[in-house]
Amino acid sequence: MSGRARNLAVCLAALALLVFTTFPFLWMASTAFKVSNEIFATPPTLWPRTVTLANLERLFAETRFVTYFVNSLKVSLATVVLTLAVGTPAAYGLTRYRFAGREAVAATVLFAYMFAPIMIIIPFYAMMRFIGLNNTHLGLVLAYSAFCLPFALWMLRSFFQSIPVDIEDAAMIDGASRPKVVLYIVLPLAGPGVVATGIFTFILAWNDYIFARVLLSADELKTLPVGIADLYNASVVDWGMIMAAGLLVIVPVLGVFVFIQKYMVAGLASGGVKG
Amino acid sequence: MGWLLLLPALALLLALTLYPVAYGAWLSLFAKHSFFPEQNWVGLGNYLYILNDGEFWASVWRGTVYAGATIVLQIVLGVAAALVLNEMFPGRNLLRAIVIFPYVIPTVVAVILWKWLLNSQFGLINYLLEDAGLIGRPISWMGRDWIMVSLILVSVWQFFPFVVIGVLARLQSIPVELYEAAKVDGASAWQRFLNVTLPQLKAVLFVIVLLRSIWMFTKFDTPWLMIQGGGAETYIRTLPVYTYMRTFSYYEAGKGAAMAVLMFLMLAIASAIYFRVWKREENL
Repeated sequence: MSGRARNLAVCLAALALLVFTTFPFLWMASTAFKVSNEIFATPPTLWPRTVTLANLERLFAETRFVTYFVNSLKVSLATVVLTLAVGTPAAYGLTRYRFAGREAVAATVLFAYMFAPIMIIIPFYAMMRFIGLNNTHLGLVLAYSAFCLPFALWMLRSFFQSIPVDIEDAAMIDGASRPKVVLYIVLPLAGPGVVATGIFTFILAWNDYIFARVLLSADELKTLPVGIADLYNASVVDWGMIMAAGLLVIVPVLGVFVFIQKYMVAGLASGGVKG
Repeated sequence: MGWLLLLPALALLLALTLYPVAYGAWLSLFAKHSFFPEQNWVGLGNYLYILNDGEFWASVWRGTVYAGATIVLQIVLGVAAALVLNEMFPGRNLLRAIVIFPYVIPTVVAVILWKWLLNSQFGLINYLLEDAGLIGRPISWMGRDWIMVSLILVSVWQFFPFVVIGVLARLQSIPVELYEAAKVDGASAWQRFLNVTLPQLKAVLFVIVLLRSIWMFTKFDTPWLMIQGGGAETYIRTLPVYTYMRTFSYYEAGKGAAMAVLMFLMLAIASAIYFRVWKREENL
């Protein structure tokens, strides 16, 4: 193939890829801003003839979307804090100290990483019921943290490994204490990695359906994925409103995603996020 | 000191992941209602019941079909997309980020999005197919004949970016000299792909296939949410869905736990075989 034909083929393939991944989102956005009879019109219109905010208004007025949104935000942020608070020192310990059983710990973490929620949800639910944490956000945060920890540890470990130990040794020879070294040298260097890990943890918690479905039954405690699934299941589907809800749920995820895209790709390549 | 730093993380993992796994194995030996505390020892009774349950085997089969089809398509599409993203074209970095979108959105959004596109009466896909003259009557995508196809389509769309990311990262580290040498030897583009690219991708594909197999075979939320609001539920009742229903629709926590244990055993055996085959390949 000549150089020019090859370039054209690459561009066409890239265009096909772009359409395949983004078109469903565009269609969702388009539906979210259409009035009801245009949603069901034949032939369908890609660009709404009349742009309306009625679907969004209905979502806020007639459903508990805002409550779900706040719940999701609370639970996801708490999960990030707990996972990082527990995971960062552990990953540092795994990479900076030699001790018996270190390899066994790393293997256990990798093993836990492969577990799918469906495999532990039944005993987990029984446990949470027993200690009275079912139907609480605390129970959900604990579930997410345990679920996120293996991949978070794995990611953080690879970030810490990429920081040369020599820098720390040099600082300590100069008389800095270990806590100081960690605070002023290691954390700033590992910062991007910690942030990326935090984002992945946030996305996992924000997106989860099964733990929230099983652990929460009170409507006012529900998170977005469960709340939206229930909105969809309620009698006749209000497509305009459901698409508006879907749009609002992915905005925060795509927002942070674009913002820190560089870290994200690095993190994903090192094995972050499961699903 | 090292242990001290690890302690909180290990405690959390032990208490909330490893303990539940062990407790689940213990629970599978009891007849227990999902909500009430009483439990009666039945030994391997739950396992006997399940292994004689035709629906269990049917769900294993559906799950295998689902996992097999989605994995093959994800790999093919993912590798193809990664090859495209490894070329030079305007907007490449942006597209590399955009391609990951379907993977980072909540499953519930992916599912309702596609349910709308595939809606039999008002869906865009049926409209486009009819408009192009490809079909005479609208297809009932959520009906019994098509729901597995729809489920596979949604899942491939949602999960192929995982393959793209892994493969693309590897592609970028293949030395250019290898391709130049192949070109000098007169290898065609297809030959270069087969003899240079694929062998280099082997190791990363091994890991990707392993992880995707485990996660597709245990995938619960995508099939479960696809089922909602439709009558063709039994046609995509995969093993994870059936396990969930045993526990939270039939309230048989003991039997549900036993199914989770069986799921784990099947995966462990399949992974062991996979590793062995891989090792043999490596030694050839």
